[in-house]
Order: sequence, then structure tokens, then C-alpha cells
Amino acid sequence: MSDRIEPEDAARALGEIERQREQVIRRRVFPGWFWWAQGVLTVGLTACIESGRGVVVWIGLALFVVGSILINLPVSRAARAAPVNRALAAPANARWVVAVLVGSIAALLGVAIGTALGLHAAGVSYPGTIASVVASVLFAIGGPMLVRYEAAVLVRRSRSRG
Amino acid sequence: MSTPRFDELIHAPTRLSLVAFLAATTWADFSVLRDSVGLSDSALSKQLTTLQDAGYVEIRKAFVGKRPRTSARLTGEGRTAFDRHVLALQEIVAAAGRSVVAPGPSSEHG
Repeated sequence: MSDRIEPEDAARALGEIERQREQVIRRRVFPGWFWWAQGVLTVGLTACIESGRGVVVWIGLALFVVGSILINLPVSRAARAAPVNRALAAPANARWVVAVLVGSIAALLGVAIGTALGLHAAGVSYPGTIASVVASVLFAIGGPMLVRYEAAVLVRRSRSRG
Repeated sequence: MSTPRFDELIHAPTRLSLVAFLAATTWADFSVLRDSVGLSDSALSKQLTTLQDAGYVEIRKAFVGKRPRTSARLTGEGRTAFDRHVLALQEIVAAAGRSVVAPGPSSEHG
């Protein structure tokens, strides 16, 4: 078979295969506004809950649920359009990515709760809302970074697996 | 373990890009394939039909609301052929004393 094509042609073909693989892994699923929209919804819900008025809480909850569904629609549609073949990553790698994700969520919750408790102890009004603003900003900045990190790990692993 | 086998059908540049993209996905929408590989609708249809006739690709047509949605995926046979083709390419490059990229473990999931 090796006399059918030149090594240069074979190398080019392998390069193209790798390029397509990376294109699939790095394909943009989350629009840039997604993270901020989710943050705004979270802050809105927290403010409604913190108002302590039953009607406002229920309206806030309803808006949060509807808003979350609406902003997640394009994301799930984009994800379904070309799901990455998870065989590209080793199982150990997948576990590592999940661990990083869970750790990030725990850290975010820790920051939010810590900030809220600190503000509450200091007698600041609406500590939960302010804390959710802090957490949402971190989420909006950190979310895209996490996605890029996962893609980079997948690309690295898919290159190294033989 | 797959044995290397150069595949003329897959090696054609457009089909190589198409099959490589499909190998990295479970399913891919027609529009994503078209935009990623940079083909017109008719050219993509033609290439997919060729691959489907060879048994390498499965095409699914469904409706989302009233809009038709066409998706494609590599069949088990297609993944095996692709993996063997990658091994053949690596063999050619290795024989010439070059570094090679790792083969995609695409056949692990059908």
C-alpha cells in the first residue's frame, strides 16, 4: 500500500485528520452571552428570594425557570448538532475533567456562601444578592475558561492516544 | 487491533475531511458538516451518498417541528475502514522516517 502515495501526501492527510478532530472538539457550543445571561438570572432569583415577599419569590422563580430553559435551548441544540465522540478521551481523562468541574462549582458556591455570610455578619443589606453578583461574575469569567480547558485536555489526549 | 489498509474511497481530499470530522463525532448535522468541511449542499449530498453506498455512512432524516433535519454518522464499517486508513497513512509516513500523529480511537464507539 505504501507505494500508492507519497509520504508527503500521507503526512498531509494525517494533518487534515487531526485538524478535523480538533475542529470537532473546539466547536463553539456556548455563545458568549450564555454565561452572563445565566448570571443575571441567578442574581435576579437571589434578589427575589431575599426580598422575602412570597409573590415576588414565586415570580422570580418562574422567570428563572423560563429564562434558564430559553438560554439553554441554543446551547443544547448546538451540542446535539455534532456531539464529540467521547472515545477520543481516555476514561481517566473524563474523570479528571468531571473532578475539575465539580471542584469549580464547589469553589464558586464556597465564594458565594462565604461572601454572603461575611456581608450578613457586617450588617450589609441584601448580602445574598451581592454575593450572587460576585459568584455570577466569577461564573461568567470562569465558565468559558473551563470549556476551553476541557477542549484543550481532549485535544491533548486525542493526540497522545495510540 | 486494526491492520493498516489504505482506502482509496476515504483518501479523496473532500471525503477524507468529511470522514475525519464524522469520526470525531457520534452524529453530525448536515449544516455543521457543510460549514466545517466547506462544501456546498449539493457537493456534500453527493459525497455523503458515495460514502453511504460504500456502507461507511448512515444518514438519518428527521423533522424538528416542520423543518427537515439531516444527520450523518460513520457506521461501524466506516469507523473500521477509517482507522485502518489512518494506520496505513502512519505506516507510510513512518517508513519515510517522519513523526506521525496518533490514530483516532474512533472505532471504540459505534
